[in-house]
Amino acid sequence: MRFHIVLRYVALALLINSFFMGIASAISIFNADTAFMPLLYSALITMLFGLFPLIFVPPASNITNKEGLLIVVLSWFLSCLTGTLPYILYGDPFTFTNAWFESVSGFTTTGSTILSNIEALPTSLLFWRASTHWIGGIGIIIFVLSVLPFLGIAEMVLFRSEISSMVRENFHHRARKAIQILAGVYLGLTLLETAALMIFGMDFFDALTHSFSTIATGGFSSKNASITYYNSPAIESIIILFMVLSGIHFALLFSVVTGHIKDFWRSSVVRYYLFAMLAGTVLIASNVHGAIFPDWFASFRYAAFNIISVGTSTGFATSDTAIWPPFSQILLIFFTLQCACAGSTSGGIKADRIVLLGKSFIRHLKRLMHPNAVVPIRIDGNVVEDGLVERSVLYIGIYLSIVFISSLLLILIGMDIKEAFSGTIATMGNVGPGLGVIGSTGNFGQVPEAGKWILSVTMLLGRLEIYAFFIFFIPAQWKKSISY
Amino acid sequence: MNIRIKILSGFIILALMLLVAGIWSIHELNSIGSSVQNILDDNYQSIHAAKTMSEALEREDSAILLLLHGNWKKGRAILTKADSVFNQKLRFATLNITVPGEQKQLDLIKTQYESYKALWEKPIVGTAKQGNLNWYFADVHPRFLSVKKSVNNLVELNDKMMYKTAMTLKNQSGRAIMPGIVAVIAALVFTFIFTYLINFYIVSPIIRITKRINKFNDKRTPFEVKIDTKDEIFYLAEAIEHLCLSIKNQDSAQ
Repeated sequence: MRFHIVLRYVALALLINSFFMGIASAISIFNADTAFMPLLYSALITMLFGLFPLIFVPPASNITNKEGLLIVVLSWFLSCLTGTLPYILYGDPFTFTNAWFESVSGFTTTGSTILSNIEALPTSLLFWRASTHWIGGIGIIIFVLSVLPFLGIAEMVLFRSEISSMVRENFHHRARKAIQILAGVYLGLTLLETAALMIFGMDFFDALTHSFSTIATGGFSSKNASITYYNSPAIESIIILFMVLSGIHFALLFSVVTGHIKDFWRSSVVRYYLFAMLAGTVLIASNVHGAIFPDWFASFRYAAFNIISVGTSTGFATSDTAIWPPFSQILLIFFTLQCACAGSTSGGIKADRIVLLGKSFIRHLKRLMHPNAVVPIRIDGNVVEDGLVERSVLYIGIYLSIVFISSLLLILIGMDIKEAFSGTIATMGNVGPGLGVIGSTGNFGQVPEAGKWILSVTMLLGRLEIYAFFIFFIPAQWKKSISY
Repeated sequence: MNIRIKILSGFIILALMLLVAGIWSIHELNSIGSSVQNILDDNYQSIHAAKTMSEALEREDSAILLLLHGNWKKGRAILTKADSVFNQKLRFATLNITVPGEQKQLDLIKTQYESYKALWEKPIVGTAKQGNLNWYFADVHPRFLSVKKSVNNLVELNDKMMYKTAMTLKNQSGRAIMPGIVAVIAALVFTFIFTYLINFYIVSPIIRITKRINKFNDKRTPFEVKIDTKDEIFYLAEAIEHLCLSIKNQDSAQ
């Protein structure tokens, strides 16, 4: 293991963070707010830590899988750590635990917050908060790779270490091309949404920060009442559109842009994802109609926004879902677990794995009826290798086990069962709001300190898709070759 | 990049981290000093003035009771002195307005006090008012109470502002300490990384070079040391390699 090489690549991630902290401090000068020194000093410290390894360590174009994995995990961890600096230097209401929770929630695009009065924060700090979503949304290392010139084999190793194992199966492009597609679609969607939100009345700052949150499927808003503040069906519709788009595999969006619309509709995962969202909206609208909202328009408006917000792991709110009927809440929990497609910025188990699980279940039934039959699983006409099916089912099993263990720990430290469970699935799926006091109109400020640490671990577990996180903390694994 | 620049950059970075944190902490401590001064100048002095006004009012009330009892000389002496103290402190408070709403409160006190004063300014001893407790309880005492209440409200107004400023001070003290803590932790981590890199890129190659030279001296083993960096160590290794080759060639020639 060449730690000096690891240091050099992690330093690049720190420089990206420093750059955004620098922009935030410029905003602070412009607004003459109180966060200038916290942001400037954070930018300076992060930049110095980023620059020094670049001065000392010569570039290496070849890195091993182990090094790639360590670079990815350390980049996430150190980005979250340096991301706390502006908060803890700013002071009240940020203790170290609160700052860590807010930073991890930002980078992992969870969108859970400890803040009860978001609007009391200076604009510059709100920009930094939204930036953490945007940096983390595409993946810190992918962000770094997309702004750097070609790095050779190292780029391929880092790309494979960063992206979800499900995406790896779906991306049929070379690493460089895939990074360009991801970055291009990401930037394009962000710019388009910013422009669209501005057309419908948002100011530039709010439009940009909400676009950062939407495209990264994060959920941080610059307003206490989240999207409810605007009370605008037009703004909600734009956000719904971009949330749905951000939940689709970016390569498929790229296909559409390049004129290959057939690829888009041929994808069974996308068809399932869109159908699930539609079905969820209809079911919840029917359930809340009369009970919560008097007319069908309001029922569909709020059902669609909230189900898509949760189902894409964004976490914006336009209604207090904690008072919705139990049927709607259970549906929201299902979407919080499932989330959107692999290859997007979404978290959760991912629609791809749910499709595989369903197909695997049908295959099992067929095998029970015809024990000697060879029944391959096909997705979009292609046979899926058994290893991938096994890994996906295993992933779902481990995912749910972690949800169970984390909920248990939260209950042990005194949290209510509903809040413990919904808080865990919301943070593990990088969705954001849970139910009860941590619901769409509440915040995580009242969660005990130990609970915030447990939930920040689940956020990282969800974002790094479990295996990378565990391998990083099991020293014995470093002796073996890593294949996950 | 040469070693001198690498090492220098390390020390510059370390110094920069500590320097900026130091300057920022000093700035925050300075502003804490200013806030404390503000509390003393603005709020504490206003509170003190209001409390003195309240005491003066109490003394005036006692003096009125003395006048009602027929003690003209002592009663008037106390009234004159208390009135002077009250007006002096009211003027001071009017010139030291620092809290939103303070001006309005002072105007109210002034109006109420004038109305109160109008009752006892006129002679009491030797008039129908002397010994008339009904007049005292019906007219004088309610006006006294309303002025006193307004003065107490002024104290409360400044108390609240003092508490708010103190809370800001608490946050500022956190801000003054935090850069220091962050700088110390960052400097420690940085020193660790710096030492690791110095060891990896400077100390270790020197040890390797020394070992290879010794091996060459002992057994004429070819001098081969891989240096990753293009700095003085790399050129030193290259020079030694040439030297070893020359020595080996000379040995072969002999």
